[in-house]
Amino acid sequence: MILSLIGVVLLIVGAVCDIFGAIGMHRFGNFYLRLHAATVGTVGGKFYPFIGAGLIALDRGLLSVAGVAFLSAFTLLITTSVGSHALAYAAERAGVVKIEHNELGGDWDD
Amino acid sequence: MFEHTIPVLMALYGVAGVVYFIRVLLGPTVLDSILAGDCVSLDVALIALLVAVYYENNLLAGGAFFLVLWAFVLDVFASKYLVKGEVGV
Repeated sequence: MILSLIGVVLLIVGAVCDIFGAIGMHRFGNFYLRLHAATVGTVGGKFYPFIGAGLIALDRGLLSVAGVAFLSAFTLLITTSVGSHALAYAAERAGVVKIEHNELGGDWDD
Repeated sequence: MFEHTIPVLMALYGVAGVVYFIRVLLGPTVLDSILAGDCVSLDVALIALLVAVYYENNLLAGGAFFLVLWAFVLDVFASKYLVKGEVGV
């Protein structure tokens, strides 16, 4: 019972984060900002709900579903950061996304 | 006790997935489409896991794990080909 309650709370928090991330994907105007919104929607909106679904499955006695849910959450936590970093590196290296104003470039031309 | 909560949450995640999918179609660059496609696949994985929990069936859970792995593989391979210059925008 308490595991299902914690799981439902995690699912609700994840749904709110997921909807915020989906809105941010449309409100932000640059790829790097959209990467931040996608990370919010992935870690907050997918990792916590996977844990919550695993807790609900554990409370209902579905041990295989709970194991897959916890394994998926752990895999997601590792692979999301790696994938986001790879996409940002590729965007900068391939010149797909132009940096409009570089804060770290110094003030030589001011 | 929570039989009515899980379908509502599945609908919320579905709405978020549809909003992500609009970005897949509208993405100005291919990286935006890839990023939104990752989020859509993870949403589908979560909905599949919730369906498995709701109907107390074990068969859909394995598909959820492979969808999580698919998102990572899509990121890494697209980045690899973009850095190598073998795939255009």
